[in-house]
Amino acid sequence: METQFTTEFWRNGPTPGGLYQFPGQGNNQKVSQYGPAKHTLNLSRLMKVNDSTIIGAGGDYADYQFLKSLIEQRVIEEECLNDGFNYTPNSLYSWLTRVMYNRRSNFNPLWNVFVVGGLQNGEPFLGYIDKIGIAYQAPTIATGYGAYIAQPLLREAYEKNPNMSLTDAERHIDRCLKILYYRDARSLNKYEVAIVTKDGSIVKGPISSNPNWEVAKMIKGYE
Amino acid sequence: MAIAGEDFSVIASDTRLSQGFSIHSRDLPKTYKLSNSTVLGACGFHGDVLTLTKVINARLKIYENEHHKKMSTTAIAAMLSTMLYYRRFFPYYVYNIVAGLDDEGKGCVFSFDPVGSYERESYRAGGSASSMLQPLLDNQIGFKNQQGVERLPLSKDKVVNLVKDVFISASERDIYTGDGIIINIITKDGVQEERFPLRRD
Amino acid sequence: MEYNGAAIIAMKGKNCVAIAADRRFGVQAQTVGTNFQKIFEMGPRLFIGLPGLATDVQTVFGPYFVEPVIAGLDPKTFEPFVASMDLIGCPMVPDDFVVSGTCSEQMYGMCESLWEPDLEPDDLFETISQALLNAVDRDAVSGWGAVVYVMISLKFLTKKKTRYKRH
Repeated sequence: METQFTTEFWRNGPTPGGLYQFPGQGNNQKVSQYGPAKHTLNLSRLMKVNDSTIIGAGGDYADYQFLKSLIEQRVIEEECLNDGFNYTPNSLYSWLTRVMYNRRSNFNPLWNVFVVGGLQNGEPFLGYIDKIGIAYQAPTIATGYGAYIAQPLLREAYEKNPNMSLTDAERHIDRCLKILYYRDARSLNKYEVAIVTKDGSIVKGPISSNPNWEVAKMIKGYE
Repeated sequence: MAIAGEDFSVIASDTRLSQGFSIHSRDLPKTYKLSNSTVLGACGFHGDVLTLTKVINARLKIYENEHHKKMSTTAIAAMLSTMLYYRRFFPYYVYNIVAGLDDEGKGCVFSFDPVGSYERESYRAGGSASSMLQPLLDNQIGFKNQQGVERLPLSKDKVVNLVKDVFISASERDIYTGDGIIINIITKDGVQEERFPLRRD
Repeated sequence: MEYNGAAIIAMKGKNCVAIAADRRFGVQAQTVGTNFQKIFEMGPRLFIGLPGLATDVQTVFGPYFVEPVIAGLDPKTFEPFVASMDLIGCPMVPDDFVVSGTCSEQMYGMCESLWEPDLEPDDLFETISQALLNAVDRDAVSGWGAVVYVMISLKFLTKKKTRYKRH
Protein backbone atom coordinates (compact mmCIF):
# COMPACT_ATOMS: atom_id res chain seq x y z
CA MET A 1 0.00 0.00 0.00
CA GLU A 2 1.21 3.40 -0.84
CA THR A 3 1.87 5.70 2.04
CA GLN A 4 1.05 9.36 1.91
CA PHE A 5 2.86 12.03 3.83
CA THR A 6 1.90 15.52 4.76
CA THR A 7 3.41 18.21 2.61
CA GLU A 8 1.71 21.11 4.36
CA PHE A 9 2.88 22.14 7.78
CA TRP A 10 0.81 23.33 10.67
CA ARG A 11 1.23 26.99 10.91
CA ASN A 12 2.58 27.79 14.31
CA GLY A 13 2.70 31.52 14.18
CA PRO A 14 5.77 33.49 13.29
CA THR A 15 8.89 31.52 12.70
CA PRO A 16 11.76 33.88 12.28
CA GLY A 17 14.72 32.33 13.98
CA GLY A 18 17.83 34.44 13.88
CA LEU A 19 21.15 34.08 15.45
CA TYR A 20 24.51 35.41 15.82
CA GLN A 21 28.05 34.41 16.36
CA PHE A 22 31.03 36.33 17.51
CA PRO A 23 34.50 35.26 18.40
CA GLY A 24 35.59 36.91 21.60
CA GLN A 25 39.09 37.72 22.68
CA GLY A 26 41.44 34.83 23.32
CA ASN A 27 39.71 31.79 24.74
CA ASN A 28 36.77 33.75 26.05
CA GLN A 29 34.65 32.80 23.10
CA LYS A 30 30.93 32.82 22.96
CA VAL A 31 27.99 32.20 20.73
CA SER A 32 24.55 33.59 21.19
CA GLN A 33 21.37 32.88 19.39
CA TYR A 34 17.74 33.78 19.49
CA GLY A 35 14.46 32.17 18.68
CA PRO A 36 11.05 33.64 19.26
CA ALA A 37 8.48 32.30 21.64
CA LYS A 38 5.49 30.81 19.95
CA HIS A 39 2.27 32.70 19.29
CA THR A 40 0.39 33.39 22.49
CA LEU A 41 1.96 30.57 24.43
CA ASN A 42 5.41 30.38 25.88
CA LEU A 43 6.66 27.68 23.59
CA SER A 44 10.39 27.67 23.25
CA ARG A 45 12.05 27.16 19.88
CA LEU A 46 15.49 26.92 21.41
CA MET A 47 17.10 23.83 22.86
CA LYS A 48 20.16 23.30 24.95
CA VAL A 49 21.78 20.11 23.71
CA ASN A 50 24.76 20.16 26.03
CA ASP A 51 27.31 22.61 27.46
CA SER A 52 28.79 23.38 24.06
CA THR A 53 25.84 22.97 21.72
CA ILE A 54 22.49 24.65 21.15
CA ILE A 55 19.91 24.51 18.40
CA GLY A 56 17.09 26.78 17.31
CA ALA A 57 14.18 25.73 15.14
CA GLY A 58 11.70 27.36 12.82
CA GLY A 59 8.75 25.80 11.03
CA ASP A 60 6.46 22.99 12.14
CA TYR A 61 6.46 22.70 15.92
CA ALA A 62 5.42 19.04 15.99
CA ASP A 63 8.31 18.10 13.71
CA TYR A 64 10.62 20.10 15.96
CA GLN A 65 9.30 18.28 19.05
CA PHE A 66 9.86 14.96 17.29
CA LEU A 67 13.43 15.84 16.47
CA LYS A 68 14.00 17.33 19.91
CA SER A 69 13.00 14.10 21.62
CA LEU A 70 15.21 12.19 19.19
CA ILE A 71 18.18 14.38 20.07
CA GLU A 72 17.43 14.16 23.80
CA GLN A 73 17.41 10.36 23.58
CA ARG A 74 20.71 10.36 21.68
CA VAL A 75 22.25 12.70 24.24
CA ILE A 76 21.17 10.30 27.02
CA GLU A 77 22.65 7.34 25.13
CA GLU A 78 25.85 9.29 24.65
CA GLU A 79 25.94 10.01 28.41
CA CYS A 80 25.44 6.33 29.21
CA LEU A 81 28.52 5.36 27.26
CA ASN A 82 30.47 7.64 29.56
CA ASP A 83 33.40 7.65 27.18
CA GLY A 84 34.03 11.35 27.46
CA PHE A 85 32.53 12.07 24.06
CA ASN A 86 29.58 14.36 23.53
CA TYR A 87 27.77 15.94 20.66
CA THR A 88 29.71 18.89 19.31
CA PRO A 89 28.04 21.63 17.26
CA ASN A 90 29.74 20.27 14.13
CA SER A 91 28.73 16.66 14.75
CA LEU A 92 25.10 17.59 15.50
CA TYR A 93 25.04 19.83 12.42
CA SER A 94 26.49 17.10 10.27
CA TRP A 95 24.00 14.54 11.61
CA LEU A 96 21.08 16.93 11.13
CA THR A 97 22.02 17.56 7.48
CA ARG A 98 21.76 13.81 6.85
CA VAL A 99 18.45 13.47 8.72
CA MET A 100 16.90 16.38 6.85
CA TYR A 101 18.29 15.33 3.45
CA ASN A 102 17.18 11.72 3.83
CA ARG A 103 13.70 12.75 4.93
CA ARG A 104 13.31 14.98 1.87
CA SER A 105 14.69 12.24 -0.40
CA ASN A 106 11.93 9.93 0.89
CA PHE A 107 9.41 12.68 0.06
CA ASN A 108 8.60 13.08 3.76
CA PRO A 109 10.51 16.17 4.88
CA LEU A 110 10.66 17.46 8.43
CA TRP A 111 9.14 20.89 7.89
CA ASN A 112 11.77 22.84 9.78
CA VAL A 113 14.74 25.06 9.48
CA PHE A 114 17.43 24.53 12.10
CA VAL A 115 20.27 26.63 13.30
CA VAL A 116 23.01 24.87 15.24
CA GLY A 117 25.32 26.94 17.38
CA GLY A 118 28.05 26.40 19.91
CA LEU A 119 31.73 26.09 20.51
CA GLN A 120 33.72 23.64 18.42
CA ASN A 121 37.19 23.16 19.95
CA GLY A 122 36.81 26.59 21.52
CA GLU A 123 35.91 28.18 18.17
CA PRO A 124 32.43 29.63 17.55
CA PHE A 125 30.29 27.50 15.26
CA LEU A 126 27.10 28.39 13.46
CA GLY A 127 25.31 26.18 10.96
CA TYR A 128 22.06 26.30 8.98
CA ILE A 129 20.00 23.31 7.83
CA ASP A 130 16.64 23.50 6.07
CA LYS A 131 13.87 21.05 5.23
CA ILE A 132 15.34 19.92 1.92
CA GLY A 133 18.86 19.45 3.19
CA ILE A 134 20.45 22.72 2.17
CA ALA A 135 23.13 23.40 4.78
CA TYR A 136 25.95 25.84 5.29
CA GLN A 137 28.01 27.52 7.97
CA ALA A 138 28.22 31.28 8.27
CA PRO A 139 29.16 33.92 10.87
CA THR A 140 25.59 35.25 10.94
CA ILE A 141 22.40 33.36 10.17
CA ALA A 142 18.78 34.44 10.16
CA THR A 143 15.78 32.50 8.88
CA GLY A 144 12.24 33.20 7.84
CA TYR A 145 11.32 36.85 7.91
CA GLY A 146 14.60 37.43 9.73
CA ALA A 147 16.51 36.52 6.56
CA TYR A 148 15.12 39.63 4.90
CA ILE A 149 15.22 42.04 7.83
CA ALA A 150 17.70 40.85 10.45
CA GLN A 151 20.35 39.25 8.27
CA PRO A 152 21.45 42.47 6.50
CA LEU A 153 21.69 44.22 9.88
CA LEU A 154 23.64 41.36 11.41
CA ARG A 155 26.00 41.12 8.42
CA GLU A 156 26.64 44.84 8.63
CA ALA A 157 27.33 44.68 12.36
CA TYR A 158 29.57 41.65 11.95
CA GLU A 159 31.59 43.24 9.15
CA LYS A 160 32.13 46.34 11.24
CA ASN A 161 33.22 44.38 14.28
CA PRO A 162 33.97 40.68 13.89
CA ASN A 163 35.26 40.49 17.46
CA MET A 164 32.34 41.92 19.38
CA SER A 165 31.61 41.19 23.01
CA LEU A 166 28.69 39.16 24.32
CA THR A 167 26.96 42.36 25.46
CA ASP A 168 27.34 43.90 21.99
CA ALA A 169 25.99 40.77 20.36
CA GLU A 170 23.00 40.63 22.68
CA ARG A 171 22.33 44.29 21.93
CA HIS A 172 22.32 43.59 18.18
CA ILE A 173 20.03 40.60 18.67
CA ASP A 174 17.63 42.74 20.68
CA ARG A 175 17.65 45.46 18.03
CA CYS A 176 16.96 42.97 15.26
CA LEU A 177 14.10 41.38 17.18
CA LYS A 178 12.63 44.74 17.97
CA ILE A 179 12.67 45.66 14.26
CA LEU A 180 11.17 42.28 13.40
CA TYR A 181 8.46 42.93 15.95
CA TYR A 182 7.75 46.30 14.30
CA ARG A 183 7.70 44.92 10.77
CA ASP A 184 6.22 41.44 11.13
CA ALA A 185 2.52 41.75 11.90
CA ARG A 186 2.36 38.18 13.22
CA SER A 187 5.16 38.56 15.72
CA LEU A 188 5.19 39.06 19.46
CA ASN A 189 7.43 41.17 21.59
CA LYS A 190 8.75 38.13 23.35
CA TYR A 191 11.84 36.12 22.62
CA GLU A 192 14.49 33.85 24.01
CA VAL A 193 18.24 33.92 23.65
CA ALA A 194 20.55 30.94 23.85
CA ILE A 195 24.16 31.64 24.67
CA VAL A 196 27.19 29.39 24.62
CA THR A 197 30.38 30.45 26.33
CA LYS A 198 33.35 28.46 27.50
CA ASP A 199 31.55 28.25 30.84
CA GLY A 200 28.55 26.44 29.34
CA SER A 201 25.30 27.12 27.55
CA ILE A 202 22.04 28.70 28.67
CA VAL A 203 18.67 29.56 27.21
CA LYS A 204 17.59 32.95 28.55
CA GLY A 205 14.13 34.42 28.51
CA PRO A 206 11.45 35.08 27.66
CA ILE A 207 12.72 38.63 27.10
CA SER A 208 10.72 41.65 25.98
CA SER A 209 12.48 44.57 24.34
CA ASN A 210 11.39 48.19 24.71
CA PRO A 211 9.42 49.14 21.63
CA ASN A 212 8.86 52.72 20.62
CA TRP A 213 5.70 53.24 18.60
CA GLU A 214 6.02 57.06 18.54
CA VAL A 215 6.70 57.08 14.81
CA ALA A 216 3.73 54.85 14.03
CA LYS A 217 1.25 57.71 14.09
CA MET A 218 3.29 59.53 11.44
CA ILE A 219 2.70 56.75 8.93
CA LYS A 220 -0.20 57.80 6.76
CA GLY A 221 -1.97 56.47 3.72
CA TYR A 222 -2.85 52.95 4.80
CA GLU A 223 -6.12 53.78 6.62
CA MET B 1 33.88 27.02 -15.03
CA ALA B 2 37.08 25.27 -15.96
CA ILE B 3 39.81 25.57 -18.57
CA ALA B 4 42.52 23.04 -19.39
CA GLY B 5 46.00 24.22 -20.32
CA GLU B 6 49.04 22.31 -21.56
CA ASP B 7 50.41 21.29 -18.14
CA PHE B 8 47.84 22.90 -15.87
CA SER B 9 44.14 23.41 -15.50
CA VAL B 10 42.11 26.15 -13.90
CA ILE B 11 38.71 25.78 -12.26
CA ALA B 12 36.85 28.67 -10.71
CA SER B 13 33.50 29.33 -9.09
CA ASP B 14 31.79 32.26 -7.49
CA THR B 15 31.14 32.10 -3.74
CA ARG B 16 27.46 33.02 -3.56
CA LEU B 17 24.86 30.59 -2.26
CA SER B 18 21.38 31.81 -3.02
CA GLN B 19 17.82 30.53 -3.06
CA GLY B 20 15.29 32.61 -4.96
CA PHE B 21 15.98 36.27 -4.19
CA SER B 22 17.77 35.53 -0.90
CA ILE B 23 21.50 35.21 -0.49
CA HIS B 24 22.20 32.45 2.05
CA SER B 25 25.95 32.94 2.09
CA ARG B 26 28.49 35.21 0.42
CA ASP B 27 31.36 32.83 1.09
CA LEU B 28 30.52 29.36 -0.14
CA PRO B 29 32.82 28.19 -2.93
CA LYS B 30 31.37 25.57 -5.25
CA THR B 31 34.74 24.01 -5.97
CA TYR B 32 35.79 21.01 -3.89
CA LYS B 33 39.38 19.81 -3.76
CA LEU B 34 39.39 16.05 -4.16
CA SER B 35 43.14 15.43 -4.34
CA ASN B 36 46.38 17.22 -5.14
CA SER B 37 45.64 16.91 -8.84
CA THR B 38 41.83 17.02 -9.02
CA VAL B 39 39.25 19.65 -8.16
CA LEU B 40 35.49 19.21 -8.56
CA GLY B 41 33.12 22.05 -9.40
CA ALA B 42 29.52 21.28 -8.45
CA CYS B 43 26.42 23.42 -8.59
CA GLY B 44 22.67 22.98 -8.65
CA PHE B 45 20.70 21.83 -5.60
CA HIS B 46 23.02 22.45 -2.66
CA GLY B 47 21.58 19.56 -0.61
CA ASP B 48 22.50 17.15 -3.40
CA VAL B 49 25.92 18.83 -3.79
CA LEU B 50 26.66 18.21 -0.09
CA THR B 51 25.56 14.59 -0.32
CA LEU B 52 27.41 13.93 -3.57
CA THR B 53 30.68 15.43 -2.34
CA LYS B 54 30.39 13.44 0.90
CA VAL B 55 29.92 10.20 -1.01
CA ILE B 56 32.74 11.01 -3.46
CA ASN B 57 35.17 11.71 -0.62
CA ALA B 58 34.18 8.44 1.06
CA ARG B 59 34.70 6.53 -2.20
CA LEU B 60 38.11 8.20 -2.67
CA LYS B 61 39.17 7.09 0.85
CA ILE B 62 38.03 3.52 0.15
CA TYR B 63 39.99 3.51 -3.13
CA GLU B 64 43.07 4.88 -1.41
CA ASN B 65 42.94 2.21 1.30
CA GLU B 66 42.34 -0.60 -1.17
CA HIS B 67 44.89 0.42 -3.80
CA HIS B 68 47.49 2.30 -1.75
CA LYS B 69 47.46 5.19 -4.18
CA LYS B 70 45.41 8.28 -5.01
CA MET B 71 42.72 8.07 -7.63
CA SER B 72 43.63 9.74 -10.95
CA THR B 73 41.54 12.57 -12.42
CA THR B 74 40.30 10.40 -15.30
CA ALA B 75 39.29 7.65 -12.86
CA ILE B 76 37.47 10.12 -10.63
CA ALA B 77 35.56 11.37 -13.68
CA ALA B 78 34.59 7.81 -14.68
CA MET B 79 33.53 7.04 -11.10
CA LEU B 80 31.44 10.20 -10.88
CA SER B 81 29.64 9.23 -14.07
CA THR B 82 28.59 5.86 -12.64
CA MET B 83 27.62 7.47 -9.33
CA LEU B 84 25.34 9.91 -11.14
CA TYR B 85 23.84 7.25 -13.40
CA TYR B 86 23.16 5.04 -10.38
CA ARG B 87 20.57 7.65 -9.43
CA ARG B 88 19.18 7.84 -13.00
CA PHE B 89 15.54 7.75 -11.89
CA PHE B 90 15.91 10.07 -8.89
CA PRO B 91 18.88 12.12 -10.02
CA TYR B 92 21.25 14.25 -8.05
CA TYR B 93 20.27 17.72 -9.30
CA VAL B 94 23.91 18.69 -9.72
CA TYR B 95 25.97 19.96 -12.65
CA ASN B 96 29.54 18.78 -12.29
CA ILE B 97 32.84 19.81 -13.81
CA VAL B 98 36.00 17.93 -12.93
CA ALA B 99 39.32 19.63 -13.59
CA GLY B 100 42.84 18.40 -12.99
CA LEU B 101 45.82 16.72 -14.55
CA ASP B 102 45.56 13.44 -16.44
CA ASP B 103 47.96 10.48 -16.14
CA GLU B 104 50.42 12.18 -18.52
CA GLY B 105 50.38 15.40 -16.52
CA LYS B 106 48.33 17.27 -19.11
CA GLY B 107 45.53 19.60 -18.08
CA CYS B 108 42.07 18.07 -18.42
CA VAL B 109 38.47 19.09 -17.90
CA PHE B 110 35.44 16.79 -17.77
CA SER B 111 31.90 18.10 -17.83
CA PHE B 112 28.81 16.15 -16.74
CA ASP B 113 25.08 16.34 -16.96
CA PRO B 114 23.05 15.46 -13.82
CA VAL B 115 22.58 11.82 -14.86
CA GLY B 116 26.19 11.01 -15.69
CA SER B 117 26.72 11.72 -19.37
CA TYR B 118 30.26 13.07 -19.57
CA GLU B 119 32.89 14.25 -21.98
CA ARG B 120 36.51 15.42 -21.86
CA GLU B 121 36.85 18.99 -23.08
CA SER B 122 39.37 21.80 -23.08
CA TYR B 123 37.03 24.34 -21.51
CA ARG B 124 33.53 24.42 -20.02
CA ALA B 125 31.23 26.78 -18.17
CA GLY B 126 28.48 25.46 -15.91
CA GLY B 127 25.77 26.79 -13.64
CA SER B 128 23.29 29.65 -13.78
CA ALA B 129 25.63 31.92 -15.79
CA SER B 130 26.90 29.20 -18.13
CA SER B 131 24.96 30.55 -21.10
CA MET B 132 26.74 33.89 -20.64
CA LEU B 133 30.22 32.45 -20.09
CA GLN B 134 30.30 29.64 -22.65
CA PRO B 135 30.11 31.76 -25.87
CA LEU B 136 32.96 33.91 -24.60
CA LEU B 137 35.09 30.85 -23.88
CA ASP B 138 34.28 29.56 -27.39
CA ASN B 139 35.56 32.86 -28.72
CA GLN B 140 38.58 33.48 -26.51
CA ILE B 141 39.81 29.95 -25.74
CA GLY B 142 38.42 28.05 -28.73
CA PHE B 143 39.15 30.94 -31.12
CA LYS B 144 35.72 30.38 -32.66
CA ASN B 145 34.66 32.82 -35.40
CA GLN B 146 38.18 34.19 -35.60
CA GLN B 147 40.20 34.10 -38.78
CA GLY B 148 43.95 34.11 -39.19
CA VAL B 149 44.82 33.84 -35.49
CA GLU B 150 47.80 31.98 -34.19
CA ARG B 151 46.78 29.30 -31.69
CA LEU B 152 49.38 29.91 -29.04
CA PRO B 153 49.39 27.60 -26.03
CA LEU B 154 47.46 29.19 -23.16
CA SER B 155 49.44 30.80 -20.39
CA LYS B 156 48.30 30.54 -16.79
CA ASP B 157 48.15 34.33 -16.43
CA LYS B 158 45.99 34.73 -19.52
CA VAL B 159 43.57 32.09 -18.29
CA VAL B 160 43.34 33.56 -14.78
CA ASN B 161 42.74 37.05 -16.17
CA LEU B 162 40.09 35.75 -18.56
CA VAL B 163 38.36 33.94 -15.71
CA LYS B 164 38.21 37.17 -13.71
CA ASP B 165 36.86 39.09 -16.73
CA VAL B 166 34.10 36.64 -17.53
CA PHE B 167 32.98 36.38 -13.92
CA ILE B 168 32.84 40.17 -13.66
CA SER B 169 30.65 40.17 -16.79
CA ALA B 170 28.43 37.39 -15.46
CA SER B 171 27.93 39.12 -12.11
CA GLU B 172 26.67 42.20 -13.99
CA ARG B 173 23.77 40.31 -15.53
CA ASP B 174 23.18 37.16 -13.44
CA ILE B 175 21.70 37.74 -9.98
CA TYR B 176 22.89 34.32 -8.80
CA THR B 177 26.54 35.14 -9.54
CA GLY B 178 28.49 37.53 -7.32
CA ASP B 179 30.22 38.24 -3.98
CA GLY B 180 33.56 36.71 -4.93
CA ILE B 181 35.35 34.02 -6.91
CA ILE B 182 37.82 31.32 -6.00
CA ILE B 183 40.22 30.30 -8.74
CA ASN B 184 41.92 26.92 -8.34
CA ILE B 185 45.08 26.51 -10.39
CA ILE B 186 46.09 22.86 -10.63
CA THR B 187 49.70 22.06 -11.56
CA LYS B 188 52.06 19.19 -10.84
CA ASP B 189 52.95 21.02 -7.62
CA GLY B 190 49.39 20.83 -6.32
CA VAL B 191 46.41 23.15 -6.11
CA GLN B 192 46.93 26.86 -5.68
CA GLU B 193 43.99 29.01 -4.65
CA GLU B 194 43.36 32.63 -5.62
CA ARG B 195 40.47 34.81 -4.47
CA PHE B 196 38.95 37.78 -6.24
CA PRO B 197 36.04 40.00 -5.10
CA LEU B 198 32.90 40.51 -7.21
CA ARG B 199 29.98 42.90 -6.84
CA ARG B 200 27.77 42.02 -3.88
CA ASP B 201 24.35 43.24 -5.07
CA MET C 1 10.13 34.20 -29.54
CA GLU C 2 11.24 30.55 -29.59
CA TYR C 3 8.84 29.66 -32.40
CA ASN C 4 10.96 31.23 -35.15
CA GLY C 5 14.16 32.16 -33.31
CA ALA C 6 16.20 35.33 -33.73
CA ALA C 7 19.12 37.32 -32.38
CA ILE C 8 19.60 41.06 -32.68
CA ILE C 9 22.13 43.39 -31.09
CA ALA C 10 22.59 47.15 -31.31
CA MET C 11 25.69 48.89 -29.98
CA LYS C 12 26.93 52.41 -29.53
CA GLY C 13 30.38 53.52 -30.62
CA LYS C 14 32.20 56.81 -30.93
CA ASN C 15 30.05 58.93 -33.28
CA CYS C 16 28.72 55.72 -34.73
CA VAL C 17 26.19 53.03 -33.99
CA ALA C 18 25.74 49.49 -35.20
CA ILE C 19 22.92 46.99 -35.43
CA ALA C 20 23.29 43.31 -36.27
CA ALA C 21 20.95 40.38 -36.74
CA ASP C 22 21.12 36.71 -37.63
CA ARG C 23 19.56 35.53 -40.90
CA ARG C 24 17.82 32.30 -39.95
CA PHE C 25 14.14 31.77 -40.57
CA GLY C 26 12.88 28.60 -38.95
CA VAL C 27 9.77 26.99 -37.57
CA GLN C 28 10.81 25.59 -34.20
CA ALA C 29 13.70 23.18 -34.90
CA GLN C 30 13.30 23.20 -38.67
CA THR C 31 15.27 25.77 -40.63
CA VAL C 32 13.23 27.09 -43.55
CA GLY C 33 15.33 29.98 -44.84
CA THR C 34 18.77 31.43 -44.29
CA ASN C 35 18.35 34.90 -45.72
CA PHE C 36 15.53 36.29 -43.63
CA GLN C 37 15.41 40.04 -43.19
CA LYS C 38 15.00 41.11 -39.57
CA ILE C 39 16.45 44.62 -39.77
CA PHE C 40 14.52 47.34 -41.57
CA GLU C 41 15.59 50.80 -42.63
CA MET C 42 13.04 53.22 -41.22
CA GLY C 43 14.67 56.42 -42.37
CA PRO C 44 18.07 58.04 -42.86
CA ARG C 45 20.44 56.72 -40.17
CA LEU C 46 17.61 54.84 -38.48
CA PHE C 47 17.17 51.08 -38.33
CA ILE C 48 14.81 48.80 -36.45
CA GLY C 49 15.44 45.14 -35.69
CA LEU C 50 12.43 42.93 -35.07
CA PRO C 51 13.10 39.57 -33.45
CA GLY C 52 9.99 37.55 -32.66
CA LEU C 53 7.15 35.85 -34.45
CA ALA C 54 8.13 36.03 -38.13
CA THR C 55 4.58 36.64 -39.37
CA ASP C 56 4.33 39.67 -37.11
CA VAL C 57 7.70 40.94 -38.29
CA GLN C 58 6.24 41.07 -41.80
CA THR C 59 2.62 41.92 -41.16
CA VAL C 60 0.98 45.28 -40.59
CA PHE C 61 -1.56 44.24 -38.00
CA GLY C 62 -1.07 44.01 -34.28
CA PRO C 63 -0.59 42.86 -31.65
CA TYR C 64 2.93 42.07 -32.65
CA PHE C 65 4.89 39.35 -30.88
CA VAL C 66 8.20 41.09 -31.41
CA GLU C 67 10.74 42.68 -29.07
CA PRO C 68 12.13 45.52 -31.18
CA VAL C 69 15.64 46.91 -31.20
CA ILE C 70 16.17 50.44 -32.48
CA ALA C 71 19.48 51.93 -33.54
CA GLY C 72 20.21 55.23 -35.18
CA LEU C 73 21.93 58.58 -35.17
CA ASP C 74 20.11 61.72 -34.07
CA PRO C 75 18.99 63.60 -37.23
CA LYS C 76 20.45 66.88 -35.97
CA THR C 77 23.26 66.14 -33.55
CA PHE C 78 24.30 62.73 -34.97
CA GLU C 79 24.33 61.48 -31.39
CA PRO C 80 24.27 57.63 -31.34
CA PHE C 81 21.06 56.08 -30.04
CA VAL C 82 20.12 52.51 -29.18
CA ALA C 83 16.97 51.24 -27.52
CA SER C 84 14.98 48.08 -27.06
CA MET C 85 11.41 47.26 -26.08
CA ASP C 86 9.43 44.35 -24.84
CA LEU C 87 6.42 43.14 -26.83
CA ILE C 88 4.04 45.62 -25.22
CA GLY C 89 6.31 48.57 -25.88
CA CYS C 90 8.09 49.25 -22.60
CA PRO C 91 11.28 50.99 -23.74
CA MET C 92 14.84 50.70 -22.46
CA VAL C 93 17.37 53.30 -23.58
CA PRO C 94 20.82 52.42 -22.22
CA ASP C 95 24.12 54.07 -23.07
CA ASP C 96 26.02 50.95 -24.15
CA PHE C 97 24.20 48.18 -26.02
CA VAL C 98 20.89 46.35 -26.31
CA VAL C 99 20.18 42.73 -27.16
CA SER C 100 16.99 40.93 -28.06
CA GLY C 101 16.06 37.45 -29.25
CA THR C 102 16.21 33.83 -28.24
CA CYS C 103 19.84 33.88 -27.11
CA SER C 104 19.77 37.09 -25.10
CA GLU C 105 21.75 35.55 -22.20
CA GLN C 106 24.53 34.53 -24.57
CA MET C 107 24.48 37.98 -26.19
CA TYR C 108 24.59 39.70 -22.81
CA GLY C 109 27.57 37.55 -21.83
CA MET C 110 29.42 38.45 -25.02
CA CYS C 111 28.51 42.16 -25.07
CA GLU C 112 29.25 42.65 -21.38
CA SER C 113 32.77 41.30 -21.94
CA LEU C 114 33.65 42.64 -25.40
CA TRP C 115 32.03 46.07 -25.47
CA GLU C 116 33.93 49.15 -24.34
CA PRO C 117 33.10 52.87 -24.60
CA ASP C 118 34.07 54.98 -27.64
CA LEU C 119 34.74 52.22 -30.16
CA GLU C 120 35.74 53.41 -33.63
CA PRO C 121 33.54 52.17 -36.52
CA ASP C 122 35.91 49.35 -37.52
CA ASP C 123 36.26 48.15 -33.94
CA LEU C 124 32.53 48.48 -33.37
CA PHE C 125 31.92 46.33 -36.44
CA GLU C 126 34.26 43.63 -35.17
CA THR C 127 32.86 43.77 -31.64
CA ILE C 128 29.22 43.50 -32.62
CA SER C 129 30.00 40.77 -35.17
CA GLN C 130 31.94 38.64 -32.69
CA ALA C 131 29.31 39.21 -30.02
CA LEU C 132 26.50 38.08 -32.30
CA LEU C 133 28.26 35.17 -34.00
CA ASN C 134 29.55 33.55 -30.84
CA ALA C 135 26.19 34.04 -29.14
CA VAL C 136 24.12 32.45 -31.92
CA ASP C 137 26.52 29.51 -32.09
CA ARG C 138 25.27 28.53 -28.61
CA ASP C 139 21.62 28.85 -29.62
CA ALA C 140 19.85 26.16 -31.64
CA VAL C 141 17.18 28.42 -33.15
CA SER C 142 19.24 31.34 -34.40
CA GLY C 143 22.29 31.70 -36.59
CA TRP C 144 22.93 30.86 -40.25
CA GLY C 145 24.91 33.99 -40.98
CA ALA C 146 24.48 37.55 -39.90
CA VAL C 147 24.00 41.02 -41.27
CA VAL C 148 25.63 44.08 -39.72
CA TYR C 149 24.88 47.75 -40.32
CA VAL C 150 27.24 50.41 -39.05
CA MET C 151 26.00 53.99 -39.17
CA ILE C 152 28.46 56.84 -39.17
CA SER C 153 27.45 60.45 -39.55
CA LEU C 154 28.42 61.98 -42.88
CA LYS C 155 30.84 64.52 -41.46
CA PHE C 156 32.87 61.77 -39.80
CA LEU C 157 32.52 59.48 -42.81
CA THR C 158 33.98 61.91 -45.34
CA LYS C 159 36.92 62.58 -43.10
CA LYS C 160 37.72 58.94 -42.57
CA LYS C 161 37.06 57.49 -46.06
CA THR C 162 35.90 54.16 -44.71
CA ARG C 163 34.41 51.33 -46.66
CA TYR C 164 30.92 51.82 -45.34
CA LYS C 165 28.01 52.73 -47.50
CA ARG C 166 25.96 55.69 -46.49
CA HIS C 167 22.51 54.77 -45.25
